[in-house]
Amino acid sequence: MKISSIDAIALIDANNFYASCEQNINPNLRNKPVVILSNNDGCIIARSAEARALKIKMGTPYFKIKEKLNELDVAVLSSNYSLYGDMSRRLMNLLKNYCEEIEIYSIDEAFVSISRPNDKNLYPWARNIRSLIYQNLGITITVGIGENKVRAKIANKLAKNIDYSAGIFDLARIKNENNYLKRISVDKIWGVGRQTSNWLQSKGIKNARELRDMEENEIIKKLGIIGKRLQLELKGYKCLPIEKNKKSKKEIQVSRSFGTPVTKLEDLTQALATHAIKASEKMRSQNLQSSDIRVFARTSKYSSQNYQRSAHRKLTQATDDTNSILKIVVELSKEIYNPEYKFSKAGVLMQDLTNSEHLQQSVINYKSQKELKKSANLMKTIDLLNKRFNNNAITWAITKTPKCWTMNKNFLSRSSTTDIDQIPTIVK
Amino acid sequence: MDFFNSTTKRFRIPLLNDSVSAGFPSPADDYTEENIDLNEHLISNPFSTFFLRVKGDSMINAGIKDKDLIIVDKSLIAKPGNIIIAMIDGEFTIKRLSIKNDELYLKAENNNYPDFRFKNHIDVQIWGVVIYSIHRY
Repeated sequence: MKISSIDAIALIDANNFYASCEQNINPNLRNKPVVILSNNDGCIIARSAEARALKIKMGTPYFKIKEKLNELDVAVLSSNYSLYGDMSRRLMNLLKNYCEEIEIYSIDEAFVSISRPNDKNLYPWARNIRSLIYQNLGITITVGIGENKVRAKIANKLAKNIDYSAGIFDLARIKNENNYLKRISVDKIWGVGRQTSNWLQSKGIKNARELRDMEENEIIKKLGIIGKRLQLELKGYKCLPIEKNKKSKKEIQVSRSFGTPVTKLEDLTQALATHAIKASEKMRSQNLQSSDIRVFARTSKYSSQNYQRSAHRKLTQATDDTNSILKIVVELSKEIYNPEYKFSKAGVLMQDLTNSEHLQQSVINYKSQKELKKSANLMKTIDLLNKRFNNNAITWAITKTPKCWTMNKNFLSRSSTTDIDQIPTIVK
Repeated sequence: MDFFNSTTKRFRIPLLNDSVSAGFPSPADDYTEENIDLNEHLISNPFSTFFLRVKGDSMINAGIKDKDLIIVDKSLIAKPGNIIIAMIDGEFTIKRLSIKNDELYLKAENNNYPDFRFKNHIDVQIWGVVIYSIHRY
């Protein structure tokens, strides 16, 4: 069905989100070029507008550009996910008040649905929400509006590329949209991956307008229903709904790169145990339990050694109990360890997740009900204490010996919005 | 991340958890299970509220002392008379937004500190409005 002009979908995203969070809470960084480094201070993963203007590229390894950044007086920061997570939570909650439905798409992006007012003009709404978010959080957002998700994404790109847009673009209100769709190359369309993009280009399809007008059967033959849906959305039909409650995750992963490569078994075990504790905590916070626990480790992608191993254990009864999980992870770490290799990354995966609320009790319980209850209470208490007195107030002895493998976070800003001991100080 | 959520539980103080006999007709039953939640009373816009710490005595006449914790609501539009946080030349500052002869300026609440005139500076932004200060005795 052709959708009515009443409903609209907007893709709202925060500009230079990580850098903006840092600039909002640290006056020193305002109007200055700022770059944020990936985990372990590896590559540049975010840039402020000022850093973009200096033509600093995304993904550049830090060591390659260190001196240039220094010369240009660019502020360099490690990624501070407690700050970005908190600001994201604030942003999404504020957005909720200004739309009918919201689908949080990523840490700094959300699809929202809104109904069009009688005069069909959503610019006042978008201007209002933009100034409100700026006032409340000090963060600038871009609003792309369309009839559906694919077109809202395109509108968002146009809003960023068109100088006079002021961060707002409504694709459904444009007289001659062909001119605008031509500006969006196929590889920039939401849902078009690298392979699809290569195939389309080999067929001479270069931009969104050409994909919209392409022979339908040819798309279906190659890309099936997904391709058809994509084309329909480009034409203005609504195929992809707003997903208010995304399905719960199929697995929980906690993995980290090592600051210095790990060669000893005890270091590998300690790292995996630390990740396992975090993963069990994550499961409990979402009422999930795992019946398939996997650990993995690998050498650096850039080293001459190329080794990776993983091992897993299936359980007869799903669990979220840190003690039981640790026992398994310690055993598994011996299975994947190999003294000949320098490991650069390791992690744990909790697979086969089930919701503890409608968990079926296994016929063969290796633990009695009483034991299960006791361990559940213990975990609940530990989680509460850790929530109350910052993380890791209580942890397991295995993680408490000195660590040589922790990540490099040499330029970490403070947890300015989430830790009372790290809030900003006003001196004058 | 869940600062407001976790503290909701944390800061609950029972108003009365025992019966009070004086003046109550039915002392044995008369108690309340209501809790005072400081978040609820101090913070009306949790998603735009931030905490900062004060150092120094520039606001002493307004009762804001060294080491005080201040609660700032960024959603409020600053009006003359409000105590505000401004970002000036790369630093946070706390002052009272004031008006004299139709000119807005920032007033320190301590006679030893000069007033701050906007026109002498390029980079000034009002960051938020102070709604509470909390002093530990």
